[in-house]
Amino acid sequence: MNSKTIIQTRNLSVYYGTHRGIKDINLSVQKGEIFGFLGPNGAGKTTTQRVILDIIHPTKGSAFVFGLDSRKDGIAVRRHISYLPGELSLYPSMRASSFFDLLGSLQNNGLNKSYLRQLLERLELDPNRKIKEHSHGNKQKIGVAAAFMGEKDLIILDEPTIGLDPLAQQTVLELVQEVKEDGRTVFFSSHNLKEVQEVCDRVGIIQNGELIKTEKVETLTKQQFKRLEITFRKEPSPDALAMKGVKEISRDGNQILFEVAEGLDQLMEKAVTYGVIDIENKAVSLEEIFLAFYGRSKKEAKND
Amino acid sequence: MINLFKHEIKSRWIAVLCWSVGLIFFGAFYISIFPGLFEQLQSLKDLTIYKIVGMYLGSMEGYIASVILAYIPLLLSIYCITASTSTLAGEEESGTLELLVAMPLSRVQIFSAKAAALSIAVSLIMVLTSVGNSAALSIIKINSSINISPFDLFAALMSSLPLALGLIMIGLFLGALLPNRRNSAAVVTIFLITSFFIKNIAEMVQSLEPIKYFSLFNYYNTTATIFTQGPRLSDIAILLGVAAVFFILALICFNKRNITVGAWSWQRGKMRN
Repeated sequence: MNSKTIIQTRNLSVYYGTHRGIKDINLSVQKGEIFGFLGPNGAGKTTTQRVILDIIHPTKGSAFVFGLDSRKDGIAVRRHISYLPGELSLYPSMRASSFFDLLGSLQNNGLNKSYLRQLLERLELDPNRKIKEHSHGNKQKIGVAAAFMGEKDLIILDEPTIGLDPLAQQTVLELVQEVKEDGRTVFFSSHNLKEVQEVCDRVGIIQNGELIKTEKVETLTKQQFKRLEITFRKEPSPDALAMKGVKEISRDGNQILFEVAEGLDQLMEKAVTYGVIDIENKAVSLEEIFLAFYGRSKKEAKND
Repeated sequence: MINLFKHEIKSRWIAVLCWSVGLIFFGAFYISIFPGLFEQLQSLKDLTIYKIVGMYLGSMEGYIASVILAYIPLLLSIYCITASTSTLAGEEESGTLELLVAMPLSRVQIFSAKAAALSIAVSLIMVLTSVGNSAALSIIKINSSINISPFDLFAALMSSLPLALGLIMIGLFLGALLPNRRNSAAVVTIFLITSFFIKNIAEMVQSLEPIKYFSLFNYYNTTATIFTQGPRLSDIAILLGVAAVFFILALICFNKRNITVGAWSWQRGKMRN
C-alpha cells in the first residue's frame, strides 16, 4: 500500500450468522479521488462503509485507512473521516446549531465556524430551528453540512442526495468536487447513477456482497458496449442483422438503434448491404452500464 | 469524552426534574396521610398480602419504611429501566449511536460517558427526592409525634442509590447484549419484579430463605430498623459490586457489538462455510 492509498480492504467479509453481508471485498481508494460505490439495495454497500469505520467488525479480512488498521487503530482512523450515514438519525430536540457544536467538539479538531456558515448558506439551512421542526430534506441537509464541516481528509457519503431538491443535490455535488480539488478523498455511495457519473473518478460495483467490477467511470462507459444509431437507405428485416454481441434496441422506420458488445466489424459488413446513410455513436450512461451488469449477472446466475 | 458526557447530562435534565418532582409528591402524599390512616392500618397490618409486597403498617416508622423506602426506589426503577435500555439499545435503534461510534472516540469512552451521565442523573433524582421527602416529613412532624428525623429519612432513601445504580448497569449490560431495546427492557423488568418478590416471599417462608441472597432487594433495608441502625455497609458494598461487575460486562459486550446490526449475540460475525 503506497502513501497515496487512502482506503485498502483485503478480503473483507462480514457474515451475520448464515446471512451474507459482504464477501472478500478487495478495493483501494486513492488520495484525491472521488470513488463511487454502486450496487442495488442489500448488496453490501453500507456494510462495507460501516466496517471501514469500525461500526461493524469484519468476520474475516481487514480494512486499512490511511495505512492504519480500522479495527486496531479505530480512533486514529476516524479522526480523519467524516461520515454521512444512509439512514440518517439526528437528535430531534436539538437545534441544528447545537448538533454541529456537539459533532465539532466530538471530532476534537475545533469547528471552522466561517466554513460552516458558508455551508449553511449554500444549503439554505436555518441552524436555529430544532431538528424535529425541519423537513425531511432539511434534515438531510443537516447531515450533509455535518459531514463536510469538519474538512476531513476522507468523507464517506452514503446516499448523500437522497430526499434533497435538485438545487440542493447540485450543491452537494459541487461540495464533493471542491473536496477533490482540495486534494481530499470522497467515498461516494449512491443509487443516483447520473450524479455518480458526474462526479466520480472511479466506481466499484458490488452485487450480493461481492465486488464485481472496479473501473474508471470513463473507461467503463467507453468499454462495456457501444450504442450505434444507424440510418439505412433500405430498411433491413427484423432478423437481418441478428448476430452474437449485437442487440437491436429500437427501430423507427429505417433508423435502428443497436447495442454492440462485440462483432462491430460483422455488423458493419452486413449494414452496408442495406446502404448506410448515417451512423451516430450514442453516449452510454453509467446507468445503462449498471443495468447491463445486473441484467447479465442475473442471467448468469440463472444459468448456474 | 467530556463533551459527550455534557451532552448526555443536558439531554437528561428534564427527566431528572420531572421524576424528582413526581417522587417528591408521591412521598409527601403518603407521609401526609399517615396520621389520618393510623388506626385503620392497625387492623390491616397482619394481612398476608401486605407481607408479600413487603409492607409493615403497624407504626409510622414501619409505614414510611415500607411505603416510602420501598416504593420510591421501585418507581425510580421504571426510569432506570427505560433510561438504561434506551441508552445503548434505544440509541442504536433510533440510529444516533451510529453517528457517535463514527466519531474519533473509543467505545470505552462512549460507554463510560453515557453510564456516568446516567448514574449522575439517577443520583440527582435520588438526592432531590430525598431532600423533598425529608422536607415533607419535617412539616408533618410539627403536628405529630414521629420518631424519625428528616435526616434519618434522607439517609435511608439515599441508601437505595446503590440499588438503582446496580439496576442501571444491568440495563446497560442487557442493552449491549440483546438485539434490541424491547428485549432488554423486558428482561430487566422481569428480573426486577422477580427480585422484588423473591425477597419478600423468602422472608415469609423459612425454607425459601436462602434464595433471598439472589435478590437485589435483599441488600436494601426497607424495614423500620434502617432508621435506628442505618444502612449496612456490606449491603452497599454488594450492590456497588453488582453495579461494577455489570458495568464491566456491559463494556465488554458494547466493545464487541456490531452497531446497527441488531442481531442476537450468537448470530453476530459467524463465518458461513
